[in-house]
Formats: sequence, structure tokens, C-alpha cells
Amino acid sequence: MSNLFLLTKREIQERLSQRGFWYMLVLGPVVVLLLLIGLLKAADQGKQELNVLIADPGQIMSHRLMAQEEQQIHYFFIDDYLELSEFDKGKAYQEFDVLLELNEKVLNNKKCFVFFRDQLGLDARMQLKFQVERRMEELIAAQHSNLTEQAFRQIKQGFIFDFRDLKDPKNESKEANSWAGFILGAFVLFFVALYSMTIFRATVREKSNRIVEVLLASVKPGQLMLSKILGIGFIALLQMLGWILLLALGFWFLQETIFVDIFDPSNWGQDAPERLNPLSALVFEQLPFASLIVHFLLFFVASFLFYGALFAVLGARSSAEADGQQFLFPLLFLVSFGLFSGIYAIYFPASTLTEILGFLPFSSPVLVLIALAKGLGIAAYTKVLLSLIILLVCAFALLGLGAGWYRKSILKF
Amino acid sequence: MIQIAEVSKSYNRKLVLDAVSMEVNKGHIFGLLGPNGAGKTTLIRILNQILYPDSGQIYFEGKLLEPVHLRQIGYLPEERGLYKTMTVRAHLLFLAQLRGLSKTEATKNVDHWLQHFDIQGWQHKRIAMLSKGMAQKVQFIAALVHQPKLLILDEPLSGFDPLNVELIMNEIKALKEQGTTIILSTHNMKSVDEVCDYAALLHNGKVLAQDAVQQLRRAHSKGLIEVRFKGNMLSFANALWTDFTLLSQKELEEGFFECTLQSRGGRKLNDLMRSLQEHVQVEHLSQMQPSMQEVFIDLISQKAAQNV
Repeated sequence: MSNLFLLTKREIQERLSQRGFWYMLVLGPVVVLLLLIGLLKAADQGKQELNVLIADPGQIMSHRLMAQEEQQIHYFFIDDYLELSEFDKGKAYQEFDVLLELNEKVLNNKKCFVFFRDQLGLDARMQLKFQVERRMEELIAAQHSNLTEQAFRQIKQGFIFDFRDLKDPKNESKEANSWAGFILGAFVLFFVALYSMTIFRATVREKSNRIVEVLLASVKPGQLMLSKILGIGFIALLQMLGWILLLALGFWFLQETIFVDIFDPSNWGQDAPERLNPLSALVFEQLPFASLIVHFLLFFVASFLFYGALFAVLGARSSAEADGQQFLFPLLFLVSFGLFSGIYAIYFPASTLTEILGFLPFSSPVLVLIALAKGLGIAAYTKVLLSLIILLVCAFALLGLGAGWYRKSILKF
Repeated sequence: MIQIAEVSKSYNRKLVLDAVSMEVNKGHIFGLLGPNGAGKTTLIRILNQILYPDSGQIYFEGKLLEPVHLRQIGYLPEERGLYKTMTVRAHLLFLAQLRGLSKTEATKNVDHWLQHFDIQGWQHKRIAMLSKGMAQKVQFIAALVHQPKLLILDEPLSGFDPLNVELIMNEIKALKEQGTTIILSTHNMKSVDEVCDYAALLHNGKVLAQDAVQQLRRAHSKGLIEVRFKGNMLSFANALWTDFTLLSQKELEEGFFECTLQSRGGRKLNDLMRSLQEHVQVEHLSQMQPSMQEVFIDLISQKAAQNV
């Protein structure tokens, strides 16, 4: 059995035997899913029952609103102004959650105040606005024209100016796709950075407890370094795939059980609140999943070799785990650089700087995944291949140089 | 077994080994001695191919030392550690396999050595739970679990209590009897006196002396003679005449003395025997040889005096 395999196997077994790994594997996705549930539940607040009192001294609305499919907001009318203190303290008004004040010239000045006892959710605000506004539009149409309400709404609708790149007239480079690619790229950088520090710590620990001299009598320093990168890299990949699998299972579970309505595209009609659209876009815009997954794995492996070699050498040159603190800032800087490069590339996809950033090992994983998420032609794909080759060449160059530095440093206690 | 030919090594332009040459014969225990910083650990690392010499060669059984030979070398470094999270058994299996044993061979050998050192009960304990002495035993087993032809022990006795020192010393002797060649680097001169056949003294990267241990001791003998006799002290002193000087005397019991003499003018034991036999009853007569500790100090002092 080759020594590299034995060393790598030991690294993997050690990490799999640590409770921390399993806690992180499960807790990470659970925290993400809980946050998602929290966000969706918070957005769902509007579906609570509300009693709205409309103070309509001009009797403009004639005690009538548009018909509602679901009676979640109940409207009541009074034909006079109401003092706020009376609404607040008066026994007769305690059953109302909201006071909507329509002044007599509201059809001209188009301004009304909505006073609430407790904060209203986004959904409740939008429903309230939508229902009152439609009634107003009906009244304006009737008062000022012979138009039907539908015709009036058509006239009222503003023009949409859709700015599109001449080179991309069908707007295939969708922004939502770009963000999906960015998230995958960020995943790569996050896990690579996290586990690079693990390589650093493992190297220093091996050095400080002096096991390294026993090992070096059997294996070459380069093998020892590579085994650490491969073993910990495998664990990083395992954890990342575990996260992705658990998150996918979690999303499926949420879709099937708790948030059936939200995840059902048939519910996302024209009138659906716009805030749901980004999520729907991300899930349903038909990302090139196969290509993304293959390149995600390729760039993860290449990036891990690159950063792993760098941090193994730094570990070999350090004498205590605490030394790692000083490398935390540069590491965070490099990760941030990669992330900001990705954001820049989303907003300025055709700039020269984006082109350059796409070939730099620190930023190429994010930029390439963004480009792939948008879909690429064969000509553009050659740039992806070039990025991967540059990253791999840099990684192997660093591994080669690193093995020499590692050998020189590892026995300097 | 192993031949070191003109090996030199520098760190940052500082010469740590200066054309060092030695030969270690098969089945012998070779003491590698020297003060701190003499270059012993560097030489040992070169023998294990952890470091490479700037010049010179190492031969293993007549062939240039190659990585493949490392499977026949066992190494217990002075700075030694273990993975604290591994169990004793898993650790030994791991190190045995790293040295080239198959899993079956490794399992068989690990079982043997665990039983031999009577620590089977500890095999499933994590290293972190072991006492220092117990961990040292595991490290010692790890060095010889693959049944090496050459065993290199760098300060093998450090950290052991007297009982375990005895255990390890006996083990070293037993390994020698089984034909294992051993290089023993130590500051414990008593152990060198006890087990080493040959020794070399390194000082400032150079070999100051190397020979059979008995030869080294003889070479540094100061002509001192130990005599135990029954009789009269005055008669004894008169018999010495001018050929021997009485350095010390001790009455072990009434009329029974032990004395130390210094020979003069190259007088031998036989001359002394002839002088004494008519005056006292000689019970014991021997040429006193210095211990390796004394040889060591003597050699280093001589070198220091030369440098002054």
C-alpha cells in the first residue's frame, strides 16, 4: 500500500472520528434551513387576519371595496374623521388593528395615511395597498372618463424600457443566473479557506508534537504535505457535498410540507408579490446544472491544491498553532478579493478587468462559475479552460516549490 | 552493515558534519557519542534520508543507501511524538505499514510486540491517555515493529524510569543477540559501557575517536592498577619500591586492603606480582580501565586544550 495512500487515509480517518466534523456537517445546513424558514415565515406575516377601519368623511368609497378571494383583511367604514388618540384608547376601536384615513380630496392629492397598532408584514401592506388602490382607480375612471376600469389601468401602466446588450439581444446572461454562479463560487472559496486553515493547523500540530520526524524516516516531505492536502481536501469536499445534499433535501422537505404554496410556481401569477421572483428565478431559470457541477468540482479541487500548498508551507514554517492568527487576515483578504471580483463581474461582465480577474487563481473560481451559470458558447468556453489550466499550473507549481520549502522548514523546531 | 564515507553537511554555511567516516559492523551495537551540538542528530537524519549530505556517501550492506533500504532501518528519534487521537494499536499498525509491512504482517508483529511488552490491555486506549513512560514504550515498539536489520536509537532511555531503563537495555541486548545491528546515540555513558561493542565520538562535526569500546578504554588507561591483598600494609608499601606509586588505600576488613597504584617506567602487572608475592597474599590484581564517561571527558578536554 503506498505511503501516500496510508497517510491520506489516516488524515481522513482522524477527521471523520472528530465530533466537530459531524456537528458541522449537520448543523451548517440546519442553520441555513432554519434561517430560510425564519425569513419565509417573516414574509408570511401578511396572511394574518387584520381589521382595518377606513375613516372616509367624504364617503368616497361608498363603504365598498373590490371583491377579495381570501378574506384576510376585513374592512370597516366610518363616515367621519377620527382622532388618533380616540382610535388608540377608545374602547369601541380596540378591535381594529389599522386606521386608514382618506381625506376628502384623496382622489386629487392621492395621499392617505395608514396608522397601525403593530408593525404590518410586507404581504399585509401590499394587499392593503393593492385593494384600496384598485377601488380608487375604479372611482377615478368613473369620475373623469367613460373608460372601463381595465382600460384606465392600461392607460395608467407606465412604459417599460428594457436595456439590453447588443451582443446579447435575447438577454440570455440573466442576472439571477449570475448570482447562482456567484453563490457556487463563494461556496468554493469559503470551503477552501476554511479547510486551508485546517491544513495549517494540522501541519503545525504534527510539527510541534514531533511525530513528523518519525514519519519523515518513512516518507518524503512532499508526500507528507500532499497527503495532508488530499486528506483534508477530501473531507472538505465531503462536507461541502453533504451540505449541498442536506440543503437540497431540506428544500424538498420545506416544499412538500411547510411552504407548499410558496414553492408552487402555479401560485406565482401576475399579481404575486415581486419579492418571490428572485427565488423562483434562481430555482426555475434552467441553470446548466451538469456543466456547473463538473466545473464546480474541478475548480474546487484546483483551488484547494493551490491554497492547500500555500498553507501547508506556512504551517511548516510556523512553530505554534497561534501563529495561524497572523495569516487569517491575508486569507480573509484573498477570499474577499475573490468575492468582490465576482460582484464586479456581475455588474461589468464585459470589462477588461473582468477578463483579467477571470484568469487570476484567487478570483477565477467565482468568475468562471458566474460565466458558466449564464451559459457559454464554445468560444467563451476556451477562456474557462484557460482559467482552469492557469489555476492548475499555479497549484502544481506551488506544490512543487512548497514541497521544497516544507522539507527545509518542517524540522526547524 | 553501514558505511559512512566522508559525509559533510552544512546549515546556512555552518559546517555541521565535516568529512565524517565510520563503519558499523553487522550485529554490533555502535555507540554514537558526543556533546550537544556535535552533529549526531544530523548524521542520524542523514542515515534515515530525512536530510541529504552535501558530499560523501552512505553504504548499506555494501550498496549506496537508497529509499528502499529504509524499510530495513528502524528509527527512534530523540524528538519523538505520536498522534494523540489514535489508539495504540492503530498507531503501531499505521507506522508498521508505512515501513512497508503488509496489513497481515503488521498485525502479526504488533500483536507480538504488544504481548512482549505486556501492554495488550492498552492497545485500544488513545495515545493521549497514556503515561509518558507508556508512550515511550509505544515509540520504542514503533521503531522495531517492522523487524529492521539496523536500529537507530537516539537517546532511547530519556524519559524512562529506572525499571523501564532496565527493560529497554535488556531489549537492546536481546535484539543484538538476534542479529540486529544497533546505532545507539546517548549521553548515558553507563549504557555505552554496558552494551556497546564499538563507539565513535563526534565533536564539532568531526570524528574525534572511534574504535572498539574496550580498545578506547585501554587506550585511555592511565596505568592504574587495583590490588586487593591480605597482609601488612607496611610490607606492601615496601614491596612496591620505586616501581609503583601508592595512590590510595582502603582497609576493607582487618588485615584486608584495597589499593590503587600507578605504574612507573612502564612496569607491568607481572612485575608487580613478582614484587608482592613474597610479602603479602594477593587476592585480586587488575589493570584499571577508565569508564566511557572518563574516556569521553578525557577526549573532549584534550581537544579543548589543543584549541587553546
